[in-house]
Amino acid sequence: MAFLISFDIDGTMEFGDPPGGVTVEMVRRAKELGFIVGSCSDRFPSWQKQVWDSHGIPVDFWVAKHMLPDVKARFQAERYVHIGDRDIDRQLAEQVGFHFWWDYEAVAEPWLAWLAWLDDQR
Amino acid sequence: MPKQSPIPDELDKPFYDACNAERLVAQYCTSCRRYQFPPRPRCIRCGKDTAVEWRPLSGRGRIISRVVVYDTPTSSLIPGQPFNVAAIALDDEPEIIMLSHLPGTPVDQVPVGAAVEVIFETTPATGQKVPEWRVIA
Amino acid sequence: MPHPVVPREWFRNKEGLGLWEGRGKVVATGVGTSPTARRWDEKPETSMGALTILAIRKAIADAGIAPEEIDGLVLTPESTTGISKDPNTPPPPGWEKHFKMASFPQAGITRGDIDWLLLNMPELKNVKFMMNGPICMSVSFVAAAEAVARGLTKTCLVARGWHNLAGRYYVGVGASALNTASGRFKYSSIWGLPACGTTAMVFEEYCRKYGKSHDQMANFVVTSRRNGLMNPDGYYSQHRPEMITVEDYLTARWIAKPANIYDNDLPIMAALAVVFTTPERARDHKQKPVYILSHGQTRPESMGVVPTLEQWERSTDRMGRILYEGAGVGPDDLDFENMYDGFTLFHQFHLEGLRYAARGEKRGYALDLYETDISIEGPNPVSPSGGNNGNGRTRWWNHRDSILQLQGRSPSQIRKKAEIGVSGAPMPDSCDALIWSAKPPV
Ligand SMILES: [Zn+2]
Repeated sequence: MAFLISFDIDGTMEFGDPPGGVTVEMVRRAKELGFIVGSCSDRFPSWQKQVWDSHGIPVDFWVAKHMLPDVKARFQAERYVHIGDRDIDRQLAEQVGFHFWWDYEAVAEPWLAWLAWLDDQR
Repeated sequence: MPKQSPIPDELDKPFYDACNAERLVAQYCTSCRRYQFPPRPRCIRCGKDTAVEWRPLSGRGRIISRVVVYDTPTSSLIPGQPFNVAAIALDDEPEIIMLSHLPGTPVDQVPVGAAVEVIFETTPATGQKVPEWRVIA
Repeated sequence: MPHPVVPREWFRNKEGLGLWEGRGKVVATGVGTSPTARRWDEKPETSMGALTILAIRKAIADAGIAPEEIDGLVLTPESTTGISKDPNTPPPPGWEKHFKMASFPQAGITRGDIDWLLLNMPELKNVKFMMNGPICMSVSFVAAAEAVARGLTKTCLVARGWHNLAGRYYVGVGASALNTASGRFKYSSIWGLPACGTTAMVFEEYCRKYGKSHDQMANFVVTSRRNGLMNPDGYYSQHRPEMITVEDYLTARWIAKPANIYDNDLPIMAALAVVFTTPERARDHKQKPVYILSHGQTRPESMGVVPTLEQWERSTDRMGRILYEGAGVGPDDLDFENMYDGFTLFHQFHLEGLRYAARGEKRGYALDLYETDISIEGPNPVSPSGGNNGNGRTRWWNHRDSILQLQGRSPSQIRKKAEIGVSGAPMPDSCDALIWSAKPPV
């Protein structure tokens, strides 16, 4: 069973423009714990990949912001969440059945609680 | 879609009052024999303020172009995205362009060139009515 | 102290005026560009005003003259197209330690101000001619050209800074977050068009009329970014050197279809200054003089709440005729065109009005031209500066590059000989443009 987390970049990630509160370390931790992670941003997809590579995080997807439906189709997951800082992030996420967290909610790494839920299921 | 309510001012009060009575009017210069919109203190062609009066329009027009808005700056319209915005050229004065969400027309299926007629939509904040347009079947 | 704005009668806004009287009497020499940033970090030394001072000092040094020689200053005071702070907001703490304060509290922060510049640039001792060129630096270039040609100043600075404050530019802030709408935009704003929406609407009409498609824009967008990335002073080359691909563009998210996110330009912090002088004085300047052959102006007919294709075509056609009549040249004389591109989707209206690289066509040919070689290496360079699209929003990269091209030192120098070029901004129906030449008129 897998969980998928999509990160917006500008206004959300610490390396975004403007910088957001979500750190590279949070993404790394999620990846190491088995989450499917990637970015969904208005930056060129090729650049998104380069940035994750430069941080040594083997992300699962790196796509333009309106490509969440494509991400959902490509990855089978129990839950899907997108994290962003704009109304448009929220709208694009909710339109395809993603859960949505604001950037400032995400800094508490609320997805970690899903692991506990998973333990309960077992 | 919940549009912002326009707040009338001294210049355009006749326009918005007419909207509330479900009538479409525009400024008309009797000297140039020409309509103008948006309202201005004087005729933009001859510069006279005395020759400008409010006149009724037929409320008929034609769609000349359109866009589909996916990322609006207007907060109240965000939940309705994506939505159509069409440019309507008035039959009475085709160079006057008004905008429309074309209620009833599916997103991205705007029949450019089609005839439209005015309807009036109530905006929630103040109840002010504004002109909208629908495709004539 | 309020300074005069350009007198209306200086503009060439109608046909039949003949050759421009100032033709051959005014040249551009030194150019100075500040570093760029995405947003202001609230430090005095990176403020819009500080960047403007830096650009002016660089332009003077580039011209190889002493600051005392400057006797004129034309400034575009507006430094954003977005939301600004209240004009009475006091400057941030520590500001007064860096700068002398003019009477206007936001001077140097969210608005350019001639008095503030002169207070803080004591080396500009001899400035006697002062004028504001409102809204667009294109207007200031025209003002300075006329002022030098009319003998009101001999060596004149033209300057404009841009600021971009923290936070979102328009979206969901200020008037757009309210449930009511006031002011002159209410006739259109309640329908929720983003800034690019009007342009997208006219572009759509254009495509429908001439049987063209948005996909045909891809090479223009990619080439513009390539040109911009050659410019070491540009925002993208300094901060986001990644190249856009055709696929990035064709798969990009719509903002107002047919305008996607990469058809929009990015607000930045930056400043430019240019030295204008007479051909006689320019002999002592370090840089090659670039002659101004003519200038022209259009203003909207203001019929509806959005313009129509017909209006934009009429307006840009008129600009072409005004410019060529004043300069005594024609479309075939242009070696490049640097018309405005912020939004990308209206560049072709400017281009077609000038009949640039036309082979007998009048209208509806530009998107086909875009699909040919429009690079700086090719026969018909389109927007060799890269414009806003390749460098960030300033509305002056294009003018700057016209001067540098004709001096033979553009970072994106066209390969064919650059002798005559054109640049103008901003909108197709509200534009000030100039024809520039490497040689004096014959
Ligand atoms: Zn009149």
